[in-house]
Amino acid sequence: MGNNGVYQGVNKSGQKIVSPDYMLFEAPREKVFMTGSEAVKEAVKRASVDASVSYPITPQSEAAHLIGELWVEGYVGVYFRGESEFGVMSEVAGCSMAGARVITTTSGPGTLRAMENFPMWAGSRLPIQLVLMARGVNSPLSIQPDNLEISFLLDTGCMIWHAENAQELFDMILAGFVVAEKTDVHVPIITAIDGFFISHTRESIMIPPEDIALPPYNPYVSPTPIIDAEIAPGRYIKDPFVMKSNYISYATHASWQWEVRAAIERSRPYAKHYLRGLIEEFGDSEAELVFIASGTAASQAKEATRMLLDEGIKAKVVKVKSIRPFPHQELLEATKTAKYIIVPEFNVVGWLEREVRASFYGKSNATIIGTPRVAGGMTMPPEIIYRDALKILGKEVSYVL
Amino acid sequence: MISQPARKRLNIRMPALGGQGAVTAAHIIATAADYEGYYAVSNPFFGAEKRMAPAESYARIGIEPIYDRGEVVYPDIIMVFHHHVITMGKSYTMPFYSGIKRDGIIIINTDEELLKPEDYKKLESINVKVLNFPATKIAIDIAGTELSTNMAMIGVLFGATQIVGLPAIEEGIKSRFMKKFVASGGTASLDSALERKFKKKLELIEKNLNTAREAFNMALEWAKENGISPMLPPAPMKKQEPVQA
Amino acid sequence: MSFNIYKVNEELREFMPPEILELEEKATWGNPKRGVMDLPYAKELLEEHSLCAGCPESDAFRYILASLPNPEDTIIVNSTGCTSLVFPQIALHTVHSLFGNQNAVASGIKRVLEYRFPNKVKDVVVLAGDGATVDIGLDCTLQSFFRQEKITTICYDNEVYANTGGQESGLTVKGHVFKMAPKGKQWDKVPMWQLAIDSGCHYVVRMTVSSPRRVEQAVKKAIYVAREVGPTYIHLYTPCILEIGRNSDEGLEEMKLGDKERFSFFEYMTPQAEEVIKRKKEEGLI
Repeated sequence: MGNNGVYQGVNKSGQKIVSPDYMLFEAPREKVFMTGSEAVKEAVKRASVDASVSYPITPQSEAAHLIGELWVEGYVGVYFRGESEFGVMSEVAGCSMAGARVITTTSGPGTLRAMENFPMWAGSRLPIQLVLMARGVNSPLSIQPDNLEISFLLDTGCMIWHAENAQELFDMILAGFVVAEKTDVHVPIITAIDGFFISHTRESIMIPPEDIALPPYNPYVSPTPIIDAEIAPGRYIKDPFVMKSNYISYATHASWQWEVRAAIERSRPYAKHYLRGLIEEFGDSEAELVFIASGTAASQAKEATRMLLDEGIKAKVVKVKSIRPFPHQELLEATKTAKYIIVPEFNVVGWLEREVRASFYGKSNATIIGTPRVAGGMTMPPEIIYRDALKILGKEVSYVL
Repeated sequence: MISQPARKRLNIRMPALGGQGAVTAAHIIATAADYEGYYAVSNPFFGAEKRMAPAESYARIGIEPIYDRGEVVYPDIIMVFHHHVITMGKSYTMPFYSGIKRDGIIIINTDEELLKPEDYKKLESINVKVLNFPATKIAIDIAGTELSTNMAMIGVLFGATQIVGLPAIEEGIKSRFMKKFVASGGTASLDSALERKFKKKLELIEKNLNTAREAFNMALEWAKENGISPMLPPAPMKKQEPVQA
Repeated sequence: MSFNIYKVNEELREFMPPEILELEEKATWGNPKRGVMDLPYAKELLEEHSLCAGCPESDAFRYILASLPNPEDTIIVNSTGCTSLVFPQIALHTVHSLFGNQNAVASGIKRVLEYRFPNKVKDVVVLAGDGATVDIGLDCTLQSFFRQEKITTICYDNEVYANTGGQESGLTVKGHVFKMAPKGKQWDKVPMWQLAIDSGCHYVVRMTVSSPRRVEQAVKKAIYVAREVGPTYIHLYTPCILEIGRNSDEGLEEMKLGDKERFSFFEYMTPQAEEVIKRKKEEGLI
């Protein structure tokens, strides 16, 4: 790994600082066999993270414990357990306002408990990273896999990426900081996974050496003033403008909200580069049957696609990696040959199907079908997707289990 | 005879009781298969496992990348860790073998017959073989503790399926006990209980290895007697044989 | 010192409004002995305010801001309520994020500033009303005390939700009729100063803002103790003259009544806090 110009000194933990491109694309990688939670630790270890605040809730607890271990080992500067997810999301907001690169994790009911904070993060332009290990919310109590909570986050003003597996989560955590901290983006990044399916599953992933790390966060690239008394305070510091009741304040608040959404849009080229595209395609490029899916549903659809391809059916999966921003153009392009678009999901409302329908309205002639809908912790066997796909095509279900 | 040459994947379901080490077994099975050069994934049942309550874990082993996640609904192999799974219905599926695929194998930790003739009739109709195997007895005989039952189950799985050899099994067991491993507080306390019992970690590993080896050899013999050939094609990423210390 | 950040860029000097120029020229930076006696002469760190005419909260703001020993390195964390009308007028780094999370935000800020600037003193001061401190934010308030966060929490107790139109709060006295308590409040005023003591604060004071010098003393003690030892809490009676039917010029009179009864001066300190206060007095800083 000689001195090829990618090293730029050391970070506070003594790791060699490398460029994001080197970290994500060029550094040699070694195979390790670990859970998604352990992959979070490995990513945070290489991300020059300043602060993290934790709170227990299944299934994200283990990842939060492991970040605590990194604090003990000297890889994370500030770490403690907050009083609740509402408290935690406020504490990480404080950390970020004071100029730290921050990461935290939550799941299901915790996400909802913390909800008020997410638009505040976005409105305050805080590039906090939330690793969201989705699980059912208490409607009634469930601790099982279910990603309904992502639908609640769609309009918070946060970027949302959805990782399919531990490898993608590892890479997204690193890329997440890089993209979210760009001056012209500088909004929170939610890196979501389907809890348990990734957090608790052990698989092999490829990771770069542990003695290199991303460049530390430079808080002074923030488009709003950092609260550290090292720079002149703005007249309006991270404030909503509601305390002034006049037309200027209304217009300011409205344009501020638009600006947050525009900032998410401006993340596209960066996200495209560091994620190697906002979508990923798997299967027959001329497919008439296309699955649009994200997260674990994409995994299950890939297995079903293999089964369909074995039967001679032209099928493919278009995996959506970025939910916010939503890859409208990429999806239209990737489904040009599609007659049927099937959207399998791990929630009862079908939020991805809604997104696809809204995005495709008037632009695609394909029939969009949301199936299967698996929720409440149930698994989504590929055989079920395969069966549904054959039914849609009017074919006999010949596969014998 | 295994009549499915196209098999690219072995999906393994392990119904057990909390505390029997089925999660650890799934972890070691996948680690060993990964070491052998297969694609492999393992995961526990997602819920609040309690001691002696039903607990399931899963492993998937294949010759191409594995995307499938979650509980195994359609297994090729079912490993029953405890007779209560069958006799008391401590199982997430009823009957415990629901979903089993054609030409599959069921391994039951028991020293007496637990299935009824009608079960056999059903299973034989899809060419599923049943191996009643006294894993707990072997664990007590060799390791001196029933806590090593899961090691015997690992051995019997790989002996019966003939896809992963003893060096890789040893590697899987060693990596589980030598490396720092965090699964849950419960597992950590079980580990310390085990450690107290065995005093020394290395001694523990050796006993576990011996248990797994014995079970492996017994199951291999059974497989040969029953004309079962290796259940997967050779590992696509086969490593050099490790140098024996 | 961070007061350099208040120096005006020469290129822009001619365009700067006078209050910004005054901040550079006449505010008391870099002087820990600053205090309320400077008020008539120095540029205040509060430029006007948007509270009701005669509101005692505005007095409290002026005295507190005049007494901060280290304003150039002080972060103010606010919450929602009448106080939130004021913070855009404060010339320091201030934060408002949500209603009730002020002590959580302050905890994050304080810890990161200690991590980023281990060799600098950065004070973090929470200024919030009774609803924010005791009702909606009680969890975050007390938990920051439990965690021994090195921050100073100042509660402006006006015994009512004033900004939303006069609703009963946890700090309203029993029997008082406010909106949402149309039959009169059914339970006692929360003894927040006592909760602060029980929750681990090292310096706690309950008082009105009738005496500027006394406010200055309390603020300085609380900040010095928070810097070195742990959480400190100041409970100030700042009556809502509007909601209790007083005139704009009657705030002081109301507070003086408070001095004699339920807001009689009460001070608590742990031995560690006492040691810090004694030392600071010897250094002439209190």
